[in-house]
Amino acid sequence: MIRFENVTKVYDQTARPALDAVNLEIDRGEFAFLVGASGSGKSTFLRLVLKEDRASSGAVYVAGQNVAKISSWRVPRLRRGIGVVFQDFRLLPQKNVFANVAFAMQVIGRSRSVIRDTVPEVLKTVGLEGKEHRMPHELSGGEQQRVAIARAVVNRPGILLADEPTGNLDPTTSMGIMGILDKINQNGTTVVMATHDDDIVNEMRKRVVELKNGVVIRDEAKALYTSMIPVVGQSRRLKDASGRETPDEAPGESGAQR
Amino acid sequence: MRLAFILSEIGSGLRRNVSMVVSVILVTFVSLTFVGAAGMLQMQINQMKGYWYDKVQVAVFLCSDGSTAASCAGGPVTPEQQDSLNTLLESPAVGQYINDFAFESREEAYDHFKNQFSNSPIVDSVTPDQLPASFRINMKDPEKYQIISETFSSQAGVETVIDQRQLLERLFSVMNGASLVAVSIAGVMIVCAILLIATTIRLSAFSRRRETGIMRLVGASKTVIQLPFILEGVIAAVIGAALASATLWAVARFFLGDFMAQQYPDTAFISAGQTLILAPALLLLGACLAGISSLLTLRRYLRV
Repeated sequence: MIRFENVTKVYDQTARPALDAVNLEIDRGEFAFLVGASGSGKSTFLRLVLKEDRASSGAVYVAGQNVAKISSWRVPRLRRGIGVVFQDFRLLPQKNVFANVAFAMQVIGRSRSVIRDTVPEVLKTVGLEGKEHRMPHELSGGEQQRVAIARAVVNRPGILLADEPTGNLDPTTSMGIMGILDKINQNGTTVVMATHDDDIVNEMRKRVVELKNGVVIRDEAKALYTSMIPVVGQSRRLKDASGRETPDEAPGESGAQR
Repeated sequence: MRLAFILSEIGSGLRRNVSMVVSVILVTFVSLTFVGAAGMLQMQINQMKGYWYDKVQVAVFLCSDGSTAASCAGGPVTPEQQDSLNTLLESPAVGQYINDFAFESREEAYDHFKNQFSNSPIVDSVTPDQLPASFRINMKDPEKYQIISETFSSQAGVETVIDQRQLLERLFSVMNGASLVAVSIAGVMIVCAILLIATTIRLSAFSRRRETGIMRLVGASKTVIQLPFILEGVIAAVIGAALASATLWAVARFFLGDFMAQQYPDTAFISAGQTLILAPALLLLGACLAGISSLLTLRRYLRV
């Protein structure tokens, strides 16, 4: 479904590339975690799939198409096949839950009756039935992320990209969100999720692709978050912080655990 | 559905940016009014040309009692001199250049004068013997005026030869100058309008970057994303153009039609209906201005 062939992305000629000769294939219906420290290339990976950026060299295939060969006026069609979820939800504050989800259908010209039928159905999938008329500021973080997921999948994309979707949520809420993503994946959607959240990765036991400085250093099926020893008893925030503070750690550490 | 969606987007965009939209309307209104004024002046010139060029003549004024010109040193024109001028006009040498000619006696000149200045108190202070008699010549080709002038100026009993067309040309050149000034002002205002529309669109795109970001992600087409912004500018500019057209119509109807026509009853002014010919041109110009400037702005500030 997504295939990277020797993809390199250079933002700044003088710095090291954001992605360095990455080869990777994610199959249809797969659920893959993309892990690694900030700046390891996770977001660049997602941007290349969406054709928000162009690869400096190599080829990115999405649903069998080389995205470099898609002309700019056909990029919207590519993006209709991809749903995206972010850490900060990105809901429209003036629109209620229903309207936020319906917006994704309106802008691609779906008819009013289709929207009326589809939106409640999708809201039910994410566990928000009965909350159609709430405004985003009346919802908890987890509920807002559910709205965002509903919006991402309402047009039935083949791929769902999630960029740290649980980054702003507590562990219990995060697990709820993961349950929804898993359900979406079971329905046949390929899910790629970039995350720092080791608990979740360890819980889910899915494929894990670890990036470091733009290079894939680990690609394992049914894997754990990382080689790092889980820090028991410390708050999630501290763990996150320690993860960010250690990008200079020897690559051998992860390699040794492989 | 998509149309309704685009319309609602336009509505919300206009509401959010009311003050900028109003300024776009006003600037396009003023600039297009100047464009239209230049157009009206040209229409007026054409109107007057059509009206006067048939009527303008070369006038050969004959010496009268009060004449001071050197050629009139011999006193007022004698009947013999008048006859010889008549013969000259009928001769083939001169006749080939003229359509026809007529003699206007002092009394006739006085009658014309009275008609022409019927509104003015000057009529009461003028008597027939103050006005010179003249030959009125309709030229086949008004450009050949020089030949008539040369032939007749030197004749005895002729005070002066006047080409009325030259008087008109002077008036027209003043009007042309005025329309040039109007066009220059319009040019500056149009630059203003383009920049203002660009700024407005930019603000509008910025204030809705959340929406457009989401639209991009869910795969909305370029048209759906950009059209509301472009139409916002176009709608504001078209309202400005409509105001400009209405203003021009009002000027023609009330200023030219009522006031000026009373002051100058024998001048053909353009009618209010004629200014409506300008309206579609102004609307189109306004729409194009806004469309082009917002397209260029969006290309820079709203990548899809």
